[in-house]
Amino acid sequence: MRRPRPTLIAVSTLITVTLTTAPTPANAQRAAPPDQVTALTAHQADGYTTLAWQPVDGATDYQIERTPVDAHNTPTGAPTIVGIWRPNRQINQQAPTFADAGYHPGDTFQWRVRARAGTTEQPYSDPVTATTTAPWGNPATPGEQLRTQWETTHAAQYTSDTDEYAYTTAIDTLSDRVRVVELGRTVHNRPINMLVIGYPTPAATPEAIAATAPVAINCNVHGNEPGDREACLIMARQLAFSTDPRITDLLSHTTVLIVPTINGDGRANNTRGNSTGQDLNRDYSLIRQPETTAYIKMVRDYRPVAGYDGHEFGNTRAGDLPMLPPRHQNVAQPIFDQSQDMIEGHMYAKGAEAGWWACPYGCEGGGNVGLSEETILRNTLGLKNVTNSLLELRSSGGQTRPDEGNTANNRRRKTYSALWTFHQFLDYHRADRADILTSRAESIEIQAANTGRLVFRGSRPIPAHPAPHPGDSPPPLDAPRADLILDNAPCAYKLTDEQYNGARTDGPAGVGTTVAQRIAAHGWKVIKTGDGYYVPLNQPERGLIPLLLDTQGVEKLTDGERVYPTLTGRRNGPLVVSGFTCAANATINGPVTVQTGAALVATATTISGPVSATRAAGVLLADTTVNGPLQITNTTDAISIIDVTIAGPVNLSANTTGTDVPLLAGNTIRGPLNCTANSTAPTNLGIANIVHGPRTSQCAAL
Amino acid sequence: MSHPSRALRLLAVALLLTTAGCTATSTTDAKPPTSTSAPQVTGPLCAALPTGTDPGNPTFLASQPVDEALRWIPTLTTFEAALRTSGTLTDLPTGTGVTILAPSDDAFAATFSEDNWDDLMTHHTDQLRTLLKAHLITGTHSIEDLVADGTATTLDGTTVTLIRTGPTARLADRADTVCADYQATNARIHIINAVLGPLPVTADSTGHRAH
Repeated sequence: MRRPRPTLIAVSTLITVTLTTAPTPANAQRAAPPDQVTALTAHQADGYTTLAWQPVDGATDYQIERTPVDAHNTPTGAPTIVGIWRPNRQINQQAPTFADAGYHPGDTFQWRVRARAGTTEQPYSDPVTATTTAPWGNPATPGEQLRTQWETTHAAQYTSDTDEYAYTTAIDTLSDRVRVVELGRTVHNRPINMLVIGYPTPAATPEAIAATAPVAINCNVHGNEPGDREACLIMARQLAFSTDPRITDLLSHTTVLIVPTINGDGRANNTRGNSTGQDLNRDYSLIRQPETTAYIKMVRDYRPVAGYDGHEFGNTRAGDLPMLPPRHQNVAQPIFDQSQDMIEGHMYAKGAEAGWWACPYGCEGGGNVGLSEETILRNTLGLKNVTNSLLELRSSGGQTRPDEGNTANNRRRKTYSALWTFHQFLDYHRADRADILTSRAESIEIQAANTGRLVFRGSRPIPAHPAPHPGDSPPPLDAPRADLILDNAPCAYKLTDEQYNGARTDGPAGVGTTVAQRIAAHGWKVIKTGDGYYVPLNQPERGLIPLLLDTQGVEKLTDGERVYPTLTGRRNGPLVVSGFTCAANATINGPVTVQTGAALVATATTISGPVSATRAAGVLLADTTVNGPLQITNTTDAISIIDVTIAGPVNLSANTTGTDVPLLAGNTIRGPLNCTANSTAPTNLGIANIVHGPRTSQCAAL
Repeated sequence: MSHPSRALRLLAVALLLTTAGCTATSTTDAKPPTSTSAPQVTGPLCAALPTGTDPGNPTFLASQPVDEALRWIPTLTTFEAALRTSGTLTDLPTGTGVTILAPSDDAFAATFSEDNWDDLMTHHTDQLRTLLKAHLITGTHSIEDLVADGTATTLDGTTVTLIRTGPTARLADRADTVCADYQATNARIHIINAVLGPLPVTADSTGHRAH
């Protein structure tokens, strides 16, 4: 309701001026028209040309003209206005750049740029002529010569499922850097493949790959938004075969995980959802569908530290490349901040150099989009401590690219802008790897500490960045409603056997996997004691657990029972734990013994004395101090020790948690660390422990 | 983890190279054998579709089966996928000529919300097939012949009026041809800018769901 008023004031001021004055300073300015654009340059990159020029005082906008020419610089087609650049489209408005794209790569063009003052066209700049960069890869070099169906058809066709499989198999065969793994199958049994790319070869196992701080790109979740997928397939070829030192350096410092087509059935049908009509980007928390389950298990096993999720977007007024971080308020602050740094700090700055118009998803009247649903991969990944962003490719040419009535032009602009983004994503990871890992470590410790309120739905605000769109409204605030906030977080959720193991009907064809299977896919610790299944909140994905298990969850799996701490404040003397015991903000003076089949869960607690668990169901300690030795043996269900200071030796041995990996992350151990004969070797989730004594056996590298 | 045998993988590479080679050959050598059979597509959208010797140009498509030809026309992704997945086209008696009034992707986007379209595609095959049959006419008819007749009966039993409006033709008083007279084996394809048939408009003005 604020906006009409300034407009009225402006109109009345204008009337006054017009009535009372003839020659005014404003008129005098108008009499001196802006000049000709000078210093036009054209820089070539994969699928686009960055045009840069000296700005002209008083210009309202600029028109970019492109003319196809032959080798003798003779025009072979009509000059066309292919771009309209306005100063508010990039953060450095004094150095205008425009990424011209959509043409067939390899063709030769002449460009000119002119300013407009209002609608009055100023003289064109001197022309610049250049041959654009041909599709990547020497046609005579094995591997490099591979092309996708989209490339060979000049974007008339998208790459089909069978052509994708043949292409990625060929890359796998011809490059030591690439291994194609199948993550799962779609409802209609199409393979969901992932390219695992490292230099000189990718590490052998998911756990070894996780240790390289991998990055993951989900290329195509909505079947009718295939632009990013084609970029992924081209980039896979570049990463597999390029001898550019930048590429080999990137691949020496991470593993790139590319999932070209999670939704092969929807892609084949050109539908948004999968073959059951389910929008998969509303299913990453619930994982009712096999496609999303495959992706979430991949995140559990390969532990990417950063991600991008590719889409296309219909708002014709938006930027070329709307992006958005994980905004759900349960996402730990460092992950939100790191994601924003990637978007605003890196992508906006690099976008201004390359000439792409980046802005937050939801900018320019984008509508009620970009909210806090944890079912959306952007938020799911954030809750899993992954720095990440959504990427949208504006579907149409919109107001800045008037020559995209030609479908091939439109498709090429989208795909090559995605290719630019994904390369920048890798560069950001390379440059900020240490910060990304620090943010991840801090976030895992914050989440495992189980402090602060829980929010079932609600976003952090996205500030209206001063550029590239001054004066525009930011994405919707999406603050949490009062009835979706839980100030007093429980210690755990307790599920009955029926809730945990009962048959479900929420999957394809009315058959759903059990809650137990979905919790396992997320990788959460579960402890079974005599009276039920407990899912403690002092875990790395604390913010996601209540969204699926609390009765207040908006899109939940079941109504778990909130379990609150049973042990708080000061307690003197020996403690014998039986059943499920939860300590929070407690001071325990005396030795602690966890009995057979019992469970100890503790946060913000100080234990003065040894802690010993033999044949316990579970031991989960976080943000806690143990002044004494810690001995955990023959545990049956779950072990998690995160951000704990232990003044004594730590021994984990003969634990039989099956495939559930014991966590030992971010601890300070003033003594030796020994892990032997555990059914699965413990992991540190990439957060090193400080150990004053020797580390031996299964924990030698932790 | 899928690790196809090395032999299989090499075969896949060979196939891929062969396919790419074929595509290149067919597109560059797709000049008509004689000028008499060169199809003349007409309409305002034609210039924005593959032309000349571009992959998917009208002359090349004239030698293709109709289902393949449809896959080459970049503005028909919605219609093509619907025809293919519903099997509507393969239901036609073999050897029957067919004329296809093919709504563009923009036409579908202006008619159906994404939810509605996904629902039709995944849950209401009969409704979808009826909708598609409203765009098929038995026999191969140029747009000139259809306009000369003034009406045509589509496979769903509806009578569609056709009148000449300047350089294009108007169908059922709601759609215009935007690029008419594509040829394929035993087929004609006329791209139109609105969806025919009885289903209600469900597209909303914002046009796109959130990511």
